[in-house]
Amino acid sequence: MSIHSPPALACRDVTVRYGDVTALSDVSVAFEPGLIHAVVGQNGAGKTTFARVASGLVQPTNGAVEIAGQVIRTGHVRESRAAGVELVHQSFALPPSFTVAEAMEFGAPGRGGLYSRKGLAEKWRAHLAGLDIQVDFSKRIRDLPVETQQSIEIARALITDAKVLILDEPTAVLSPAGIEMLFARVRRLKQRGVTVILILHKIREVLGIADTITVLRGGRRVEGPVSAADISADRLATLIVGDAVKGQNPGDRDALVGNGGTHADVPSGHQRYASLAPALVLSAVSTVPDSEGAPLDKVSPSIRPGEIVGIAGVEGNGQKTLVRAIADLAGLSAGTIALGGEDITRKSLAARRAAGLRIIPFERNIEGLSLTSSLWENWSARELLQGPLLRLVNPARIRALCDGSLKRWGVHYHTSAQRAGSLSGGNAQKVILAREIDADAKLIIAAQPTRGLDIGATAFVWESLRAARDKGAAILLISSDLDELFDISDRVVVMLSGRVAGAFAAPYDIQSVGAAMTGAGAAATGAQR
Amino acid sequence: MRDRAIAILRSLIFVAFSLILCAVVFQFAGYNAPQMLTAVVDGAFLRPGAVEQSLRWALPLFITAVGVGISFRAGFFNIGAQGQFYVGAIAAAFAAEALRGGPAFIVIPLIFLAGMTGGALWALWPGLLKLRSGTDEVIPALRGNFLAGLLLVYVTSGPLKDPSGSGQQVSSRPLDAAYRISNSLGLSPTIIGIAIVVGILMWVLVNRTSFGVLASLAGRNGTMVRWQGAKLWQLGLSSFVISGALAGLAGTIEFMGPNGRIASGFLPTHGFTAILIALVANLSVVGTAAVAIFFGGLASAALYLPIMAGLPAAAIDIINAAIALFITARTHVEKFLRLGRRSS
Repeated sequence: MSIHSPPALACRDVTVRYGDVTALSDVSVAFEPGLIHAVVGQNGAGKTTFARVASGLVQPTNGAVEIAGQVIRTGHVRESRAAGVELVHQSFALPPSFTVAEAMEFGAPGRGGLYSRKGLAEKWRAHLAGLDIQVDFSKRIRDLPVETQQSIEIARALITDAKVLILDEPTAVLSPAGIEMLFARVRRLKQRGVTVILILHKIREVLGIADTITVLRGGRRVEGPVSAADISADRLATLIVGDAVKGQNPGDRDALVGNGGTHADVPSGHQRYASLAPALVLSAVSTVPDSEGAPLDKVSPSIRPGEIVGIAGVEGNGQKTLVRAIADLAGLSAGTIALGGEDITRKSLAARRAAGLRIIPFERNIEGLSLTSSLWENWSARELLQGPLLRLVNPARIRALCDGSLKRWGVHYHTSAQRAGSLSGGNAQKVILAREIDADAKLIIAAQPTRGLDIGATAFVWESLRAARDKGAAILLISSDLDELFDISDRVVVMLSGRVAGAFAAPYDIQSVGAAMTGAGAAATGAQR
Repeated sequence: MRDRAIAILRSLIFVAFSLILCAVVFQFAGYNAPQMLTAVVDGAFLRPGAVEQSLRWALPLFITAVGVGISFRAGFFNIGAQGQFYVGAIAAAFAAEALRGGPAFIVIPLIFLAGMTGGALWALWPGLLKLRSGTDEVIPALRGNFLAGLLLVYVTSGPLKDPSGSGQQVSSRPLDAAYRISNSLGLSPTIIGIAIVVGILMWVLVNRTSFGVLASLAGRNGTMVRWQGAKLWQLGLSSFVISGALAGLAGTIEFMGPNGRIASGFLPTHGFTAILIALVANLSVVGTAAVAIFFGGLASAALYLPIMAGLPAAAIDIINAAIALFITARTHVEKFLRLGRRSS
């Protein structure tokens, strides 16, 4: 690379505002061609907005984008593409019912008209082979593992000789082994001369792959691009987190930035309850297959009061079905479920909730809150359902109680009559916590409770779960973030294809947990208890 | 409370829009627009007896509309109010026929019970189809309207046919005067009383019970309420059935009060006007009462328009249609106006 060659991609004074929210503020950054660049930051730091501006998906309020020295029209995907910039999204956009060959052809430049299955496969074989992607062309996208789906997305992005490839949070859905494979692929792309920009948020991953690092925080560029060799993990952690979690415990900070510690400090506080009977016992639970996820196959975890049990696994391996089974939202084909020693297998969700079940659901904005309803209605739903439907209620009283509760949980809001959809993600999650964590909670299911939250809110959720645990609640934490699981779980159970594929205790070894997630570590099952 | 009042006022602005639009159209069609507007106001409220006449139309409309509002809140789009109204009236007519000669204080409540049950059952099957097999409730409920219309033709020209009828419009035998709840002018203390009781009960149900809060949550996000442990069918289906029972009640009132009989094709737009009222009122109970009086006024004016402005009574249908159009487009129009404001 000549020192005089223009940057592969450069942004000048880019500002993006959505209404009153400033997502990016005067960001200027230039990426040298032929290298692997990482853009890091926490949720809400502006990473995805940055990727979207760079690829022409978002029109910035201000600022310019240059590709290979040429100023392009911002906010025009076609122009960015023509100039050689491609973006692979965080959530995959492949049509699930398409075969691999069809998915490759879909949207690719070229002729219309008639196709033959064989012809399509022939057409794309060489392209995929050139990228070392081995896959059966007749398989449908939905039947492929996420790693393969992602590599097909990358292959699609590279159909038109892209010079700059932007990957938005490519590791979020992958197992540790899948991440290694992805990084190997990225390094091969670099050898082919492609400039790769990785949007990441874990220091461990950043330091393992990037040539240069750029840190965003609160929509501003706070560092970089600096050579990865010139920056320490500690300095990086400080840059990413800023002052937001001063005084936090160091384990939390490392977990927040993915700076893999050893997690040797086993949380205590639950010892008091160790002698009590388990709060939740599943005995060989299997579920009827349905369209909403992998069915459970003889799953038998149990949780004691005062214990946080983490469920690890690549997404879609039955974690959601497990929650639905406990919540009476999935049909059991075999097995029993006991809550606080009482068999609840045949009880309704309302009865289970009366027995102490609380759920922080996966989809905050769909399963957790009714965004167009008021805060007090959302807040009171659980309690209202515990009484008869025709019970008389006094909205003014409910609103007063709701105000008290939301204040205790530190929710920033204007009035309890405002719509839940007007809150930020962190505040919305606090409303759910206020509803689901109470003195009568015996088992709290926390499903992806920090997804999409910023640092402060994430730390708050962790502290709240720990506090509930210390008061004697049993907590089932489902997360695809191993750092989160390792940081606050007392035990970790790995799920794979609807089965329990391993159980681990602190200190956790990311390699063996990762192996269990992909099925490579079948031997680990039962070895560590 | 204030937000809701503002929302209703905003709806009324759209109603005013449509009146103006209609006036302009009628002007170009050769009628005298100012005279038409005055005639509407006169015929609705100012002419002697106009208020009574407006209330006569408004009260049954209010009862159906408040029920429609409850089903809308719970996320069931009850487009079948017209059919439930008819079936309620038919069931009431059958009950009256069967109980002919009994003491009024027993027969009248039983006729009401039959009418409400009829309307409720006519709402039940589209609701069950939705819950059992995931069918959209709109199509079966809409088809239920046509079925009920045909059923009305059948019973008035078959089992309940009045042999002394003129043959121009088939109708049932007239109800015994002992069971009538009003004269043919259609306003009586009984009907006013029923409307007030319905209004109070529904206001309490919507605003002061767990059911009301949960049904409105379920209507906005059923998934969330399911994760809270609610049985959606309990909330949705019962709202739908309440809605049908109230439409049936309105049908019974029309049968026992002003009409005194059922005739094929009588009041063919009652249910649809009620839907319009519920939407204009933004589904609030108090608002529904106010808007129902307004629409009752339009119905009353319909009889007056041909005399005063030389307009056909169908002009009121055109006004109603224009209002429906504006209310349907409401959110889009508002969005459009707001966007305009921001960029200017």
